[in-house]
Amino acid sequence: MVKDLVAVTEEKIFRLNVEREQIAHEVLERELASKTRTPHELELVLNDVAFSEIARLAESASPKLAEWQSLYRHLGKMNQAAKEAELKRLIAHYVNDVVGNFNPRVYRFATRAVPIGLSLLLRPQLNFRRLLDLSTVRGRICVEGELELLRSLINKGTLILVPTHLSNLDSIVVGWSLYANGLPPFIYGAGKNLFFNPLISFFMHNLGAYRVERNWRFTLYKDVLKTYSQVLLERGYHSLFFPGGTRSRSGEIERKLKLGLLGTGLAAGIRNLQAGLSHPGIFVVPCTINYQLVLEAETLIDDHLKREGQSRYIIEDDESSRFSRIWDYVRKTLALDASLIIRYGAPLDLWGNRVDAAGISHDRMGRPIDTRRYLLVGDEIKASPQRDAEYVIELGEQIVQAFQQNTVVLVTHLVAYAIFSFLRRSYPQADLYTLIRLPQEEPLSSETVWREVDLVRGQLLRKAEEAALTLSEQVRKGTVEEIVNAALHYFSMYHQRPVLRRVASGLQIMDMKLLLYYHNRLTGYGIERLGYQAGLPLARVRLQDD
Amino acid sequence: MGQNVVGVVGGGSWGTAIAQILGDNGHTVRFWMRDAEVCRAINQTRRNSKYLPQAILAPQIIATTELASIGPSCRVIFLVVPSHGLRAVARELGDHLDGAHILIHAVKGIEPGTYKLMSQILREETCCRKIGVLSGPNLAKEVALHHPSATAIASRFAEVIEAGRNLLWCHGFRVYGNDDVVGTEIGGSAKNVMAIAAGMAQGLGFGMNTMALLLTRGLTEIARLGLAKGADAQTFQGLSGIGDLMATCFSPLSRNYQIGWRLAKGEALPDILSGMTQVAEGVRTTRTLHELARTIPIYMPITAGVYRILFEKEAPKDVLESLLDVTRNVYEFESAATIK
Repeated sequence: MVKDLVAVTEEKIFRLNVEREQIAHEVLERELASKTRTPHELELVLNDVAFSEIARLAESASPKLAEWQSLYRHLGKMNQAAKEAELKRLIAHYVNDVVGNFNPRVYRFATRAVPIGLSLLLRPQLNFRRLLDLSTVRGRICVEGELELLRSLINKGTLILVPTHLSNLDSIVVGWSLYANGLPPFIYGAGKNLFFNPLISFFMHNLGAYRVERNWRFTLYKDVLKTYSQVLLERGYHSLFFPGGTRSRSGEIERKLKLGLLGTGLAAGIRNLQAGLSHPGIFVVPCTINYQLVLEAETLIDDHLKREGQSRYIIEDDESSRFSRIWDYVRKTLALDASLIIRYGAPLDLWGNRVDAAGISHDRMGRPIDTRRYLLVGDEIKASPQRDAEYVIELGEQIVQAFQQNTVVLVTHLVAYAIFSFLRRSYPQADLYTLIRLPQEEPLSSETVWREVDLVRGQLLRKAEEAALTLSEQVRKGTVEEIVNAALHYFSMYHQRPVLRRVASGLQIMDMKLLLYYHNRLTGYGIERLGYQAGLPLARVRLQDD
Repeated sequence: MGQNVVGVVGGGSWGTAIAQILGDNGHTVRFWMRDAEVCRAINQTRRNSKYLPQAILAPQIIATTELASIGPSCRVIFLVVPSHGLRAVARELGDHLDGAHILIHAVKGIEPGTYKLMSQILREETCCRKIGVLSGPNLAKEVALHHPSATAIASRFAEVIEAGRNLLWCHGFRVYGNDDVVGTEIGGSAKNVMAIAAGMAQGLGFGMNTMALLLTRGLTEIARLGLAKGADAQTFQGLSGIGDLMATCFSPLSRNYQIGWRLAKGEALPDILSGMTQVAEGVRTTRTLHELARTIPIYMPITAGVYRILFEKEAPKDVLESLLDVTRNVYEFESAATIK
């Protein structure tokens, strides 16, 4: 059944700069065709762009503002041809802004440089003999999960890798994990703010990243992005999306996904079938990136707590834009064993069904599925917006579930969770913000912390048995003392203030916000309900004398 | 391919009524049931005299006991089996289903222990995505007698609602659509608990004041559960919510109502159940909902009361007294709960 899957070679991405023009042209043509079906629609599209750009630039002194205002004023008087010309110009502009490049020479250089750079950082005492030894990095960054399946599918269709998103380092570490496991690089979209640094920008640009301007919120631009992604998938370029859309601010696992880009997978699959393939040829691989410590934790949790409206969500200056912090982070935290675990989940088809090594989908009872049947309208394979939107929502639900199941609980998460939930129980009347500002004068006794860690670990073990989540070796097998000590060690390594510190009479909480942040990784599993009394949700009950 | 044939899985009273409507609308129907006796009788006499003698079944309704024959011949399949049997039936049926099939179930119940809704069970046991639920104030006997009635079909897929509507809609039977599967399923299941309580209230000799109290507060606790499970509050004001609740609670025809009535008259539950030919979902649902309400936790005093009568042998009169007693606390509890 899957004999004539899309013929993809590992080197596909190496052709990106050859096919670049063709791809751009195809996106332009498709967008133009879809937006000029009726004169009315054409005017709406232009109006929408002009309106939202004027609103965005209203406060600025940008010369662009006058141009947009002029377009907005003249739109009613423009004839069809002039509108089409304007639309074509705009689409071309956005397409060129988006389209990425891939330079094999830069790739070869980068794949060598990254591990060398990392090994240098990991072993500050220069040892040239060990310099080229990849195993140094390999020991630090663990890659686990369904790698075998991933490898066998890579030549059977186009893969969409969907990782959890906590840090700007995510795309780099995932990229590295792919390389280290003999997998080709994936194309991904990255926020334009990441291109500000010229050095990073150079690498991203030449390693298949395409640029996403998150300030452009109008439909035309979003559609260009989607069409670009769809064309890449149809042409067999493995792609990476962060379905959370942005880094998780709270530290929680993503539960609400942005489905726009994900939907391009289904659209591409339908096109593939319509083009005569016997199989949609698109596979979705969920993946979790689990850090003991997160590079930008302080900024992210601050931002989460402030919730200062939309514009704050594009953080342009955080730890990841300061080289000294990255250096610090990599040197201190990645130098420890198992400080980062990347876990690949089971590959899914476009409906969230499991896929086997041959690319065949199976339902939950293990029966093979002919996925073409999902797409029949009458007896023909056709797109159907309402149906397809629901399919994508269901796929999103399966990805969220895979995120939860493949999340690897590390000691920092466990200890932060145990302590924070203990505090919550101790102050049942306090809301989240009160809890965070709670003065921590008295340290917690070690016995209390051990007891709490033991309690939570017991519940985690049960959850892991049900395959609801995954536990790291240390969390599974360590004694509570070892676990707490390891967490203390991590917590003292990198953050401005240690999250938790040992004092004579026990453990002193030094940073409640970070404690909350690392605790959040384990919320949503229902652990709260298993052993603890269920209380009303946080931040909704006020203190009595408040 | 013969995909215009419609499948009906389950030969109880409601399944028979659905088959009848489909047949009257001119569709060819493959009508599956386990009972070979009933099957033969239907094919020979055009009647299901065991479960719904009122219905006369059109000649193009073909009864069968072969479940495997349903999938390949029918693109749209109605599932109307008791809730505890759905999983096994769906699993067997699932061997012959694919992604193009449309499944519409009319099963009232929640799976004990897992608290899964019937649509979730279909999703787990088959590869199908196009799944819907049919639920409303539909007493099978009245539908069979062509009393003006209406029902609701809920699905995430517009295509499913449309298919169900095109097949079932006829003079005297209206079909509404919505996309709140969870709310529709919860409304349809939980109302059976209230029907037991309604039967009891009438059996104890109370009048319409008590019935109205029971229904209104009953709907509140059903909706409370629904909201906690992600339903839309408005669904409970519709046919599958208040509509179904009224029909079931006011109808001495309803099995669950009869159980309540007879309990109030002093009969013991095992005796009542052993004499019934059809499944009264309310008994099982009471236990499941009561456990679920405690797990979430959600305040469902009427359900808790019915539970105590059914499973802890408390007298209906005592439970009613205690329900009336806690009213003031209930009020306070509710105002506290609405803060969230």
